[in-house]
Amino acid sequence: MIDREIDETLKRVSQTPHAVEPVLLGSIADSVKATLQPVRCLPPTWILACGLALLCAAVAVAGAARAGFYGVEKMNSLQLMLFFPVLTILIAVAATEFVNAMIPGSLRKLSSSALLATNCAVLVGVLGLLFRDYRTEHFLSAGIICLLTGFLHAIPAGLLCWLMLRRGFAVNSVSAGLVAGTLAGLAGVGVLELHCANFEAAHLLVWHTAVVPVSGAAGAVLAWALRWQGGRIAEASAQRTPMS
Amino acid sequence: MARYQEGDFAAATALVEGISPQLHRFFVAQLASRSDADDLLQETWLRIHRVRHTYRSGEPVLPWFYAIARHVRVDHYRKAIRTRVHEQRLEEISTAAATVSGKGRPPDDLRDVLAPLPESQREVIEMLKVAGMSLEEVARATSTSVGSVKQKAHRAYRKLRETMSAMGSRKGQSGGQA
Repeated sequence: MIDREIDETLKRVSQTPHAVEPVLLGSIADSVKATLQPVRCLPPTWILACGLALLCAAVAVAGAARAGFYGVEKMNSLQLMLFFPVLTILIAVAATEFVNAMIPGSLRKLSSSALLATNCAVLVGVLGLLFRDYRTEHFLSAGIICLLTGFLHAIPAGLLCWLMLRRGFAVNSVSAGLVAGTLAGLAGVGVLELHCANFEAAHLLVWHTAVVPVSGAAGAVLAWALRWQGGRIAEASAQRTPMS
Repeated sequence: MARYQEGDFAAATALVEGISPQLHRFFVAQLASRSDADDLLQETWLRIHRVRHTYRSGEPVLPWFYAIARHVRVDHYRKAIRTRVHEQRLEEISTAAATVSGKGRPPDDLRDVLAPLPESQREVIEMLKVAGMSLEEVARATSTSVGSVKQKAHRAYRKLRETMSAMGSRKGQSGGQA
Protein backbone atom coordinates (compact mmCIF):
# COMPACT_ATOMS: atom_id res chain seq x y z
CA MET A 1 0.00 0.00 0.00
CA ILE A 2 1.33 3.45 -0.89
CA ASP A 3 1.03 6.68 1.07
CA ARG A 4 -1.49 8.13 -1.41
CA GLU A 5 -3.91 5.32 -0.63
CA ILE A 6 -3.53 5.95 3.10
CA ASP A 7 -4.14 9.66 2.49
CA GLU A 8 -7.29 8.82 0.54
CA THR A 9 -8.53 6.48 3.26
CA LEU A 10 -7.93 9.13 5.93
CA LYS A 11 -9.57 11.79 3.75
CA ARG A 12 -12.59 9.57 3.18
CA VAL A 13 -13.12 8.79 6.86
CA SER A 14 -12.49 12.37 7.89
CA GLN A 15 -15.11 13.67 5.46
CA THR A 16 -17.88 11.74 7.17
CA PRO A 17 -19.90 14.32 9.10
CA HIS A 18 -19.26 14.42 12.83
CA ALA A 19 -22.01 16.11 14.76
CA VAL A 20 -22.14 16.97 18.45
CA GLU A 21 -25.45 16.83 20.34
CA PRO A 22 -27.07 20.31 20.15
CA VAL A 23 -28.07 19.90 23.81
CA LEU A 24 -24.40 19.51 24.74
CA LEU A 25 -23.41 22.57 22.69
CA GLY A 26 -26.22 24.53 24.32
CA SER A 27 -25.09 23.57 27.83
CA ILE A 28 -21.48 24.53 26.99
CA ALA A 29 -22.62 27.90 25.61
CA ASP A 30 -24.74 28.48 28.73
CA SER A 31 -21.86 27.68 31.08
CA VAL A 32 -19.63 30.07 29.10
CA LYS A 33 -22.29 32.79 29.23
CA ALA A 34 -22.53 32.61 33.03
CA THR A 35 -19.00 33.98 33.48
CA LEU A 36 -18.41 35.79 30.19
CA GLN A 37 -16.51 39.01 30.80
CA PRO A 38 -13.85 40.91 28.87
CA VAL A 39 -10.33 39.68 29.65
CA ARG A 40 -6.92 41.33 29.43
CA CYS A 41 -4.67 39.34 27.09
CA LEU A 42 -1.10 38.44 28.01
CA PRO A 43 1.62 40.73 26.61
CA PRO A 44 3.80 39.54 23.69
CA THR A 45 6.42 36.85 24.34
CA TRP A 46 9.40 39.21 24.04
CA ILE A 47 8.08 41.56 26.73
CA LEU A 48 7.50 38.67 29.14
CA ALA A 49 10.91 37.16 28.32
CA CYS A 50 12.66 40.50 28.90
CA GLY A 51 10.83 40.85 32.21
CA LEU A 52 11.94 37.38 33.31
CA ALA A 53 15.56 38.03 32.25
CA LEU A 54 15.59 41.30 34.19
CA LEU A 55 14.18 39.55 37.26
CA CYS A 56 16.95 36.94 37.11
CA ALA A 57 19.60 39.65 36.66
CA ALA A 58 18.14 41.59 39.61
CA VAL A 59 18.21 38.49 41.86
CA ALA A 60 21.82 37.73 40.82
CA VAL A 61 23.03 41.30 41.45
CA ALA A 62 21.10 41.60 44.72
CA GLY A 63 22.49 38.28 45.96
CA ALA A 64 26.04 39.23 45.06
CA ALA A 65 25.62 42.73 46.56
CA ARG A 66 24.66 41.12 49.87
CA ALA A 67 27.54 38.59 49.79
CA GLY A 68 30.19 40.73 48.04
CA PHE A 69 31.39 41.05 44.43
CA TYR A 70 34.67 39.13 45.05
CA GLY A 71 34.40 36.95 41.94
CA VAL A 72 33.81 39.68 39.42
CA GLU A 73 36.60 41.80 40.97
CA LYS A 74 39.09 38.94 40.52
CA MET A 75 38.12 38.14 36.89
CA ASN A 76 40.31 39.35 34.02
CA SER A 77 38.82 41.27 31.09
CA LEU A 78 38.57 38.20 28.81
CA GLN A 79 36.67 36.27 31.47
CA LEU A 80 34.38 39.25 32.05
CA MET A 81 33.74 39.85 28.36
CA LEU A 82 33.05 36.22 27.51
CA PHE A 83 31.30 34.70 30.50
CA PHE A 84 28.61 37.29 31.30
CA PRO A 85 27.39 37.79 27.70
CA VAL A 86 27.11 33.99 27.34
CA LEU A 87 25.18 33.79 30.62
CA THR A 88 22.88 36.60 29.42
CA ILE A 89 22.16 34.71 26.18
CA LEU A 90 21.42 31.51 28.12
CA ILE A 91 19.04 33.40 30.43
CA ALA A 92 17.30 35.05 27.46
CA VAL A 93 16.79 31.69 25.71
CA ALA A 94 15.56 30.00 28.90
CA ALA A 95 13.20 32.93 29.62
CA THR A 96 11.72 32.70 26.11
CA GLU A 97 11.24 28.95 26.47
CA PHE A 98 9.59 29.44 29.87
CA VAL A 99 7.12 31.92 28.35
CA ASN A 100 6.43 29.43 25.53
CA ALA A 101 5.86 26.65 28.08
CA MET A 102 3.31 28.81 29.90
CA ILE A 103 1.26 29.76 26.83
CA PRO A 104 -0.72 27.01 25.06
CA GLY A 105 -0.04 26.59 21.36
CA SER A 106 3.41 28.24 21.44
CA LEU A 107 6.17 26.90 19.24
CA ARG A 108 8.89 25.29 21.36
CA LYS A 109 12.31 25.47 19.73
CA LEU A 110 13.92 23.25 22.38
CA SER A 111 12.39 20.62 24.61
CA SER A 112 12.77 21.29 28.34
CA SER A 113 15.31 18.51 28.85
CA ALA A 114 17.28 19.62 25.75
CA LEU A 115 17.32 23.17 27.14
CA LEU A 116 18.73 21.95 30.45
CA ALA A 117 21.35 19.79 28.72
CA THR A 118 22.35 22.62 26.37
CA ASN A 119 22.71 25.07 29.25
CA CYS A 120 24.91 22.66 31.23
CA ALA A 121 27.04 21.89 28.16
CA VAL A 122 27.54 25.59 27.30
CA LEU A 123 28.42 26.47 30.90
CA VAL A 124 30.92 23.60 31.11
CA GLY A 125 32.43 24.65 27.77
CA VAL A 126 32.80 28.33 28.64
CA LEU A 127 34.05 27.75 32.20
CA GLY A 128 36.49 25.08 30.97
CA LEU A 129 37.79 27.47 28.33
CA LEU A 130 38.23 30.49 30.59
CA PHE A 131 39.48 29.01 33.86
CA ARG A 132 42.69 26.97 33.78
CA ASP A 133 43.59 26.57 37.47
CA TYR A 134 43.60 22.79 37.88
CA ARG A 135 44.23 22.63 41.65
CA THR A 136 41.54 21.03 43.83
CA GLU A 137 41.71 22.40 47.35
CA HIS A 138 38.69 21.94 49.65
CA PHE A 139 36.85 20.51 46.67
CA LEU A 140 33.90 19.07 48.59
CA SER A 141 33.48 21.57 51.45
CA ALA A 142 33.85 24.69 49.29
CA GLY A 143 31.77 23.09 46.53
CA ILE A 144 28.79 22.26 48.72
CA ILE A 145 28.71 25.82 50.06
CA CYS A 146 28.65 27.19 46.49
CA LEU A 147 25.96 24.71 45.40
CA LEU A 148 23.79 25.68 48.39
CA THR A 149 24.38 29.40 47.82
CA GLY A 150 23.45 29.11 44.14
CA PHE A 151 20.39 26.99 44.87
CA LEU A 152 19.18 29.26 47.69
CA HIS A 153 19.31 32.21 45.29
CA ALA A 154 17.59 30.18 42.59
CA ILE A 155 14.55 29.71 44.85
CA PRO A 156 13.54 33.42 45.00
CA ALA A 157 14.37 33.78 41.29
CA GLY A 158 12.07 30.85 40.46
CA LEU A 159 9.27 32.16 42.69
CA LEU A 160 9.46 35.64 41.16
CA CYS A 161 9.44 34.19 37.62
CA TRP A 162 6.42 32.05 38.46
CA LEU A 163 4.70 35.10 39.99
CA MET A 164 5.31 37.05 36.81
CA LEU A 165 3.77 34.32 34.64
CA ARG A 166 1.02 33.29 37.08
CA ARG A 167 -1.65 34.21 34.48
CA GLY A 168 -0.18 31.72 32.04
CA PHE A 169 -1.35 28.15 31.64
CA ALA A 170 1.12 25.28 31.38
CA VAL A 171 -0.25 22.42 29.29
CA ASN A 172 2.64 20.30 30.60
CA SER A 173 3.33 21.46 34.13
CA VAL A 174 6.36 19.20 34.75
CA SER A 175 8.03 20.45 31.58
CA ALA A 176 7.26 24.06 32.54
CA GLY A 177 8.64 23.40 36.05
CA LEU A 178 11.85 22.04 34.55
CA VAL A 179 12.30 25.15 32.37
CA ALA A 180 11.49 27.48 35.29
CA GLY A 181 14.01 25.64 37.47
CA THR A 182 16.64 25.88 34.73
CA LEU A 183 16.06 29.62 34.38
CA ALA A 184 16.23 30.12 38.15
CA GLY A 185 19.39 27.99 38.26
CA LEU A 186 21.02 30.34 35.75
CA ALA A 187 20.24 33.23 38.12
CA GLY A 188 21.96 31.19 40.85
CA VAL A 189 25.02 30.72 38.61
CA GLY A 190 25.03 34.49 38.07
CA VAL A 191 25.22 35.07 41.84
CA LEU A 192 28.09 32.56 42.16
CA GLU A 193 30.12 34.06 39.33
CA LEU A 194 29.72 37.55 40.74
CA HIS A 195 30.52 36.45 44.28
CA CYS A 196 32.78 33.36 44.34
CA ALA A 197 36.51 34.07 44.04
CA ASN A 198 37.46 30.37 43.88
CA PHE A 199 38.64 30.02 40.25
CA GLU A 200 39.71 26.35 40.37
CA ALA A 201 38.47 24.74 37.16
CA ALA A 202 37.13 21.61 38.87
CA HIS A 203 35.21 23.68 41.42
CA LEU A 204 33.59 25.82 38.72
CA LEU A 205 32.87 22.95 36.35
CA VAL A 206 31.28 20.71 38.96
CA TRP A 207 29.71 22.84 41.66
CA HIS A 208 28.77 26.06 39.85
CA THR A 209 27.33 24.20 36.85
CA ALA A 210 25.50 21.75 39.16
CA VAL A 211 23.22 24.56 40.36
CA VAL A 212 21.38 24.45 37.01
CA PRO A 213 20.41 20.73 36.95
CA VAL A 214 19.68 20.70 40.71
CA SER A 215 17.42 23.71 40.37
CA GLY A 216 15.81 22.30 37.19
CA ALA A 217 15.10 18.97 38.91
CA ALA A 218 13.65 20.79 41.92
CA GLY A 219 11.33 22.77 39.63
CA ALA A 220 10.15 19.62 37.85
CA VAL A 221 9.57 17.72 41.12
CA LEU A 222 7.68 20.66 42.63
CA ALA A 223 5.47 20.94 39.52
CA TRP A 224 4.82 17.18 39.58
CA ALA A 225 3.90 17.30 43.30
CA LEU A 226 1.53 20.23 42.72
CA ARG A 227 -0.12 18.42 39.80
CA TRP A 228 -0.46 15.23 41.84
CA GLN A 229 -1.94 17.16 44.75
CA GLY A 230 -4.31 19.01 42.40
CA GLY A 231 -5.45 15.69 40.90
CA ARG A 232 -6.18 14.24 44.33
CA ILE A 233 -8.14 17.32 45.40
CA ALA A 234 -10.17 17.23 42.16
CA GLU A 235 -10.89 13.52 42.68
CA ALA A 236 -11.95 14.07 46.28
CA SER A 237 -14.31 16.89 45.32
CA ALA A 238 -15.75 14.78 42.46
CA GLN A 239 -16.45 11.95 44.91
CA ARG A 240 -18.19 14.35 47.30
CA THR A 241 -20.41 15.77 44.53
CA PRO A 242 -23.57 13.62 44.15
CA MET A 243 -24.15 12.11 40.69
CA SER A 244 -26.78 13.99 38.71
CA MET B 1 -11.67 34.79 19.14
CA ALA B 2 -10.86 38.46 19.85
CA ARG B 3 -14.59 39.21 20.21
CA TYR B 4 -14.95 36.25 22.57
CA GLN B 5 -12.13 37.70 24.68
CA GLU B 6 -14.00 41.02 24.69
CA GLY B 7 -17.03 39.28 26.21
CA ASP B 8 -19.24 38.96 23.09
CA PHE B 9 -21.68 36.08 23.72
CA ALA B 10 -22.63 35.68 20.04
CA ALA B 11 -18.94 35.20 19.17
CA ALA B 12 -18.53 32.71 22.00
CA THR B 13 -21.54 30.69 20.77
CA ALA B 14 -20.24 30.74 17.20
CA LEU B 15 -16.87 29.51 18.42
CA VAL B 16 -18.44 26.74 20.53
CA GLU B 17 -20.49 25.58 17.54
CA GLY B 18 -17.62 25.88 15.07
CA ILE B 19 -14.78 24.26 17.02
CA SER B 20 -16.62 21.65 19.11
CA PRO B 21 -17.18 19.05 16.34
CA GLN B 22 -13.43 19.08 15.55
CA LEU B 23 -12.45 18.70 19.19
CA HIS B 24 -15.09 16.01 19.72
CA ARG B 25 -13.77 14.07 16.75
CA PHE B 26 -10.24 14.44 18.17
CA PHE B 27 -11.35 12.80 21.42
CA VAL B 28 -13.26 10.04 19.61
CA ALA B 29 -10.22 9.34 17.41
CA GLN B 30 -8.16 8.87 20.60
CA LEU B 31 -10.34 5.83 21.33
CA ALA B 32 -12.62 7.62 23.80
CA SER B 33 -16.23 6.47 23.98
CA ARG B 34 -18.89 8.92 22.82
CA SER B 35 -19.95 9.75 26.38
CA ASP B 36 -16.30 10.18 27.45
CA ALA B 37 -15.77 12.47 24.46
CA ASP B 38 -18.79 14.53 25.55
CA ASP B 39 -17.35 14.88 29.06
CA LEU B 40 -13.90 15.75 27.69
CA LEU B 41 -15.40 18.36 25.38
CA GLN B 42 -17.21 20.04 28.27
CA GLU B 43 -14.07 19.97 30.41
CA THR B 44 -12.06 21.39 27.51
CA TRP B 45 -14.44 24.33 27.14
CA LEU B 46 -14.27 25.03 30.87
CA ARG B 47 -10.46 25.26 30.60
CA ILE B 48 -10.60 27.25 27.36
CA HIS B 49 -12.93 29.72 29.04
CA ARG B 50 -10.73 29.95 32.14
CA VAL B 51 -7.51 30.60 30.20
CA ARG B 52 -8.90 32.51 27.20
CA HIS B 53 -6.65 35.47 28.08
CA THR B 54 -3.59 33.36 27.11
CA TYR B 55 -4.52 33.50 23.42
CA ARG B 56 -2.84 36.44 21.67
CA SER B 57 -4.33 37.74 18.41
CA GLY B 58 -2.14 37.02 15.43
CA GLU B 59 -1.15 33.59 16.71
CA PRO B 60 -2.68 30.52 15.03
CA VAL B 61 -5.86 29.65 16.88
CA LEU B 62 -6.25 25.90 16.17
CA PRO B 63 -3.01 24.88 17.93
CA TRP B 64 -4.12 26.86 20.97
CA PHE B 65 -7.44 24.95 21.12
CA TYR B 66 -5.81 21.59 20.45
CA ALA B 67 -3.07 22.17 23.05
CA ILE B 68 -5.74 22.65 25.72
CA ALA B 69 -7.82 19.70 24.43
CA ARG B 70 -4.73 17.51 24.52
CA HIS B 71 -3.97 18.62 28.08
CA VAL B 72 -7.53 17.68 29.14
CA ARG B 73 -7.21 14.27 27.47
CA VAL B 74 -3.87 13.57 29.18
CA ASP B 75 -5.39 14.58 32.54
CA HIS B 76 -8.33 12.26 31.90
CA TYR B 77 -5.93 9.43 31.00
CA ARG B 78 -3.95 9.94 34.25
CA LYS B 79 -7.15 9.95 36.29
CA ALA B 80 -8.27 6.76 34.54
CA ILE B 81 -4.99 5.06 35.44
CA ARG B 82 -5.38 6.08 39.11
CA THR B 83 -8.94 4.75 39.33
CA ARG B 84 -8.34 1.63 37.20
CA VAL B 85 -7.11 -0.42 40.14
CA HIS B 86 -10.26 0.34 42.11
CA GLU B 87 -12.64 -0.16 39.24
CA GLN B 88 -11.15 -3.25 37.64
CA ARG B 89 -14.44 -5.10 37.48
CA LEU B 90 -16.40 -2.17 36.06
CA GLU B 91 -13.67 -1.73 33.46
CA GLU B 92 -14.02 -5.33 32.32
CA ILE B 93 -17.78 -4.92 31.98
CA SER B 94 -17.45 -1.71 29.97
CA THR B 95 -14.77 -3.25 27.72
CA ALA B 96 -17.06 -6.18 27.03
CA ALA B 97 -19.89 -3.76 26.24
CA ALA B 98 -17.63 -1.75 23.92
CA THR B 99 -16.62 -4.92 22.09
CA VAL B 100 -20.24 -5.85 21.55
CA SER B 101 -21.20 -2.34 20.40
CA GLY B 102 -18.04 -2.16 18.26
CA LYS B 103 -19.36 -4.95 16.05
CA GLY B 104 -22.06 -2.59 14.77
CA ARG B 105 -19.60 0.13 13.72
CA PRO B 106 -18.51 0.46 10.11
CA PRO B 107 -14.98 -0.99 9.67
CA ASP B 108 -13.63 2.17 8.07
CA ASP B 109 -14.47 4.42 11.02
CA LEU B 110 -11.67 6.93 11.81
CA ARG B 111 -11.12 5.24 15.16
CA ASP B 112 -10.64 1.85 13.44
CA VAL B 113 -8.18 3.26 10.92
CA LEU B 114 -6.06 4.91 13.61
CA ALA B 115 -6.44 2.12 16.20
CA PRO B 116 -3.13 0.33 15.43
CA LEU B 117 -1.14 3.49 16.17
CA PRO B 118 0.29 4.47 19.55
CA GLU B 119 -1.34 7.49 21.16
CA SER B 120 1.35 10.04 20.24
CA GLN B 121 1.28 9.04 16.54
CA ARG B 122 -2.51 8.87 16.45
CA GLU B 123 -2.92 12.45 17.64
CA VAL B 124 -0.36 13.71 15.12
CA ILE B 125 -2.13 11.97 12.21
CA GLU B 126 -5.52 13.18 13.44
CA MET B 127 -4.33 16.78 13.57
CA LEU B 128 -2.44 16.63 10.27
CA LYS B 129 -4.85 14.68 8.12
CA VAL B 130 -8.25 15.15 9.70
CA ALA B 131 -8.09 18.63 11.25
CA GLY B 132 -5.92 19.78 8.32
CA MET B 133 -3.28 21.50 10.43
CA SER B 134 0.22 22.24 9.14
CA LEU B 135 3.36 20.61 10.59
CA GLU B 136 4.19 23.78 12.52
CA GLU B 137 0.67 24.01 13.93
CA VAL B 138 0.83 20.38 15.11
CA ALA B 139 4.21 21.10 16.69
CA ARG B 140 2.65 24.05 18.53
CA ALA B 141 -0.32 21.99 19.69
CA THR B 142 1.83 19.12 20.96
CA SER B 143 4.62 21.33 22.41
CA THR B 144 7.23 19.54 20.32
CA SER B 145 9.50 20.45 17.42
CA VAL B 146 8.53 20.23 13.75
CA GLY B 147 11.16 17.50 13.32
CA SER B 148 9.55 15.38 16.01
CA VAL B 149 6.13 15.77 14.34
CA LYS B 150 7.61 14.71 10.99
CA GLN B 151 9.20 11.67 12.61
CA LYS B 152 5.95 10.63 14.31
CA ALA B 153 3.98 11.06 11.07
CA HIS B 154 6.57 9.01 9.17
CA ARG B 155 6.42 6.18 11.74
CA ALA B 156 2.62 6.31 11.78
CA TYR B 157 2.48 5.97 7.98
CA ARG B 158 4.86 3.00 8.11
CA LYS B 159 2.65 1.32 10.70
CA LEU B 160 -0.53 2.12 8.73
CA ARG B 161 1.06 0.74 5.55
CA GLU B 162 1.90 -2.52 7.29
CA THR B 163 -1.54 -2.84 8.90
CA MET B 164 -3.48 -2.01 5.75
CA SER B 165 -1.34 -4.34 3.63
CA ALA B 166 -1.93 -7.15 6.14
CA MET B 167 -5.66 -6.46 6.10
CA GLY B 168 -5.68 -6.39 2.30
CA SER B 169 -3.86 -9.73 1.98
CA ARG B 170 -6.14 -11.31 4.63
CA LYS B 171 -9.18 -10.05 2.73
CA GLY B 172 -7.71 -11.47 -0.48
CA GLN B 173 -7.16 -14.88 1.12
CA SER B 174 -10.69 -15.04 2.56
CA GLY B 175 -12.05 -13.92 -0.85
CA GLY B 176 -10.09 -16.75 -2.53
CA GLN B 177 -11.44 -19.35 -0.10
CA ALA B 178 -15.02 -18.16 -0.72
